[in-house]
Amino acid sequence: MPAFEIRTEPLQNGITLITVRGFLDAHTYEQFEKAFDTVIEAGTYKIVVDLSALDYISSAGAGVFISALDKLRDNDGNVVLMKPTVNVREVFDLLGLSQIFTFKNTREEAVRALQ
Amino acid sequence: MGGTLKDRIVVTNDTKFLAVVREFIARLVLQSRLSRDDENKIILAVDEAVTNIIEHGYDDGVEGSIEIEVETDEAHFKVMIRDTGRVFNPESIPTPDLTDHVKLGKKKGLGIFLMRQIMDEVRYRFKDGVKNELTLVKYVR
Repeated sequence: MPAFEIRTEPLQNGITLITVRGFLDAHTYEQFEKAFDTVIEAGTYKIVVDLSALDYISSAGAGVFISALDKLRDNDGNVVLMKPTVNVREVFDLLGLSQIFTFKNTREEAVRALQ
Repeated sequence: MGGTLKDRIVVTNDTKFLAVVREFIARLVLQSRLSRDDENKIILAVDEAVTNIIEHGYDDGVEGSIEIEVETDEAHFKVMIRDTGRVFNPESIPTPDLTDHVKLGKKKGLGIFLMRQIMDEVRYRFKDGVKNELTLVKYVR
């Protein structure tokens, strides 16, 4: 099983990229939430989350995105979910969240969607 | 595969064991007649059920055990999840309004919704006066 890992890096124009690897469940979501909140508290409301190496997500993980969404959009920002794996996208579909969140396949498209 | 395949695992109420539960379910789904397309969904439904028990079944600091038993045959993939924690009947939880959920930024409370979305049957019973037993069934199509 791939290790859980989070990496945060600034992109251009006040956009931050968060890369999360491994699995996002009730055991790991708090660490991810902390990373997400740290970015928001620093005043960044435009976030790209690279999901291409995230193998699994449960509702605990999806909840982090749900709880952050309004705050980001209220501050003229958004979160773009980049390249989710089939399993992760399936969970967003099952939860009826695929119409609510923005999904893009490349970093360039994700950045463009936030400008 | 002929006949019935059965297996069980027991874990304590700690989220670090969710990965172990998922690997156990993945192995049995692969040995069953279910389609590979169902694998992630069944794993998710069981993860959500076990997560609910870990988060709500026992008082903080109280160690409890959770038994997950799988029975699968030509027609069914059945998972029975038993615990000795607080009585909790998921059937009593209404389906959430997802639009409100997102509007209010609520991050919890979607697990039972997912179980119902994924499984063909979600049944609860208070067994023998000492255990919660949740049964999740997926039909082989």
